[in-house]
Amino acid sequence: MPEHDPAKKVADRYLKREVLGEGTYGVVYKAIDTQTGQTVAIKKIRLGKQKEGVNFTALREIKVLKEIKDPNIIELIDAFPHKGNLHLVFEFMETDLEAVIRDRNIFLSPADIKSYLQMTLKGLAYCHKKWVLHRDMKPNNLLIGSNGQLKLADFGLARIFGSPDRKFTHQVFARWYRAPELLFGTKQYGAGVDVWAAACIFAELLLRRPFLQGSSDIDQLGKIFAAFGTPTSSQWPDLVFLPDYVEYQYVPAPPLRSLFPMAADDALDLLSKMFTYDPKARISAQQALEHRYFSSAPLPTDPAKLPRPAPKRESVNSRASDFNPQVAPTVLSPPRKTRRVMPERDGFDGDANQGGRIDEDAGEVRQVAGGHIGRNDQVPSSVDFSVFGAKPPNRPTINSADRFHLKRKLDLEFQRPE
Amino acid sequence: MADFQTSTHRAKWVFTPEQLAKKYKAANQKAIETLEKCGSTRFEVDADGSMSFPDSKNNKRDNAEKHSRPKPLNIDEERIMRVYYEYKIREVCDAFYFPHKIQATALIYFKRFYLQWSVMEHDPKHVMLSCVYAACKVEENHVSAEELGKGISQDHQMILNYEMVVFQSLEFDLIVYTPYRSVEGFINDIEEFSHIEGEQIQMLKDFHRTAIAEVDKIMFTDAPLLIPPGQLALAALRSANKVHGVVDFERYLSNILSRQNSEHTISELSGSFDAIDSWVSKYQFPSGKEYKHIGRKLMSCWGQSSHDESKRKEKKSKHKSRKSSSEMQNGSDLAE
Repeated sequence: MPEHDPAKKVADRYLKREVLGEGTYGVVYKAIDTQTGQTVAIKKIRLGKQKEGVNFTALREIKVLKEIKDPNIIELIDAFPHKGNLHLVFEFMETDLEAVIRDRNIFLSPADIKSYLQMTLKGLAYCHKKWVLHRDMKPNNLLIGSNGQLKLADFGLARIFGSPDRKFTHQVFARWYRAPELLFGTKQYGAGVDVWAAACIFAELLLRRPFLQGSSDIDQLGKIFAAFGTPTSSQWPDLVFLPDYVEYQYVPAPPLRSLFPMAADDALDLLSKMFTYDPKARISAQQALEHRYFSSAPLPTDPAKLPRPAPKRESVNSRASDFNPQVAPTVLSPPRKTRRVMPERDGFDGDANQGGRIDEDAGEVRQVAGGHIGRNDQVPSSVDFSVFGAKPPNRPTINSADRFHLKRKLDLEFQRPE
Repeated sequence: MADFQTSTHRAKWVFTPEQLAKKYKAANQKAIETLEKCGSTRFEVDADGSMSFPDSKNNKRDNAEKHSRPKPLNIDEERIMRVYYEYKIREVCDAFYFPHKIQATALIYFKRFYLQWSVMEHDPKHVMLSCVYAACKVEENHVSAEELGKGISQDHQMILNYEMVVFQSLEFDLIVYTPYRSVEGFINDIEEFSHIEGEQIQMLKDFHRTAIAEVDKIMFTDAPLLIPPGQLALAALRSANKVHGVVDFERYLSNILSRQNSEHTISELSGSFDAIDSWVSKYQFPSGKEYKHIGRKLMSCWGQSSHDESKRKEKKSKHKSRKSSSEMQNGSDLAE
């Protein structure tokens, strides 16, 4: 029986602590679960204002996370409405993989990289086994707990797959992690899109910077071809049938070794299998886990011993009630990066920005990164600019006409396939 | 999601007939107590999931003194109201040409909702629409609330108001497994098992269609709350096979059991198929007279008897298009 007054539960169960950051669709704060003593992160999502009721992104996240439980996937502990907000309670995570990659004080040994990749692939293989596509794999969405465990998070774009002929939007993933079939506009795709993104993350761990930093969708393909050569029809027979297929001038592939001079042979072998053009021929997450890379020396580092960013000092914004959205982003997180579930961290010099990402929600269309990629003046696309009261400089956004068109298009996608 | 074994559906939403009866009784009892305490049973619901108890301070009290107290619905009358509105769900979904999956999901949401609540507490008309709306959203087949409301001439604000209460009552377990997908899988399997080819393919198609129609019937009973979807699908196939005689069903059943190393036995499965068949045969859509009578009782539980309808002032500004009482008693004219 649900309680008649769900409001009581919050007061009874969760003790509110400081605000951790501003997510894509609301404030995230830290809290203590008095039932378990566990520290949790609570995402607060405004209710009742939207024309289309409960936020789609939140709904997707709930529906998927309720059904999947795995050591390498973030746990959704609870979901409940309270005082005009929907609250999603997650296990608290200390940091994320992007912070690890960007922290210049951290040295990642080959065994460390192996361990991070293994945990990523384990979480992914589990998702795919349960017929869930993540569709937003990027280092920022791979959270790291206090015991070093890496967990897939942010299932706001996740989808159940496996129904034949079901059409999906190709507007998923931050651009730099988008598989070539998506860039060519495919509407029918599978687990391979997540594997490609995982390959980008693997490469990013090796290079300590985003590997394929396209400034537009076309440029993204250009970057991919520059790294792996233009795909030939023998490599990828279905290529020419893709909706947005255009012929590119042939460029040969440089030796992969030249791009990753420090990587071991078996690392390169796995990387090339994950970066296979033809999604049908691309290695699966499960097969990747069985690759000799993971059984050869050096063995993956025990997660508890993995290097992580230095623990931050006591948070300066523990007075959650004083939280002021006007100043929040500068206080709560590094200037160019608004954290989702993480508390403040000092001193990483960000050169990595998130590529554009369009949410397919009917209710919201997120800001999209445009053609120009500056370096340090960028704001990650997943930040909801409305809290700043103004749009950030140097970042083209979709205009309202485009936005309308996109919304229609995405709405249509929700209709029946036939 | 294809893993029923680890699903919330299997873990939390498959009951024994006794458990089910207990839940219906408890919901009914709770509403009766509310009626005694407050003189009215209906909750006010808001889009943020907040709910307020029926107000005992309003005009209902003196009303209750003047007239006799409204009589609550009994468990069977509640069931009849649910049956009526479950059929409405199908009408709405058909009107929008929604796929089976949406319809079945909405039906299961509706069934699960009224395990927690009495129809006296939450108007099944609103709940039904919100269930359809929620099912569309969850199954990624989005239709705007406005469009849904417009299509069936209902106030879409009510759909939104009830959405959160529905999600909450479902305990946010949003993925449900319906037998349609399983039927498809079994049909493919039977095709292989019986080496069906050539002209027989048409027969298999007819068989498939009949099986789907059987599932449609099963979905209107309590069976989806009692039996896992795979067995519902097999029960439908068994019934369809009686018409078409496509396969030696016993032999097919023992074949799948041996292939899957199932812990079920043939007799156990046959028992549950028989139970499903009997629920289906017992299904009865309420007569107009029956529905009207219960509808009137329900109205009085909501403090909306025709006597005081004229005196009752619109309290909720949001609820602009409240239907007149006669219209409500006649049942909403959905999907016409």
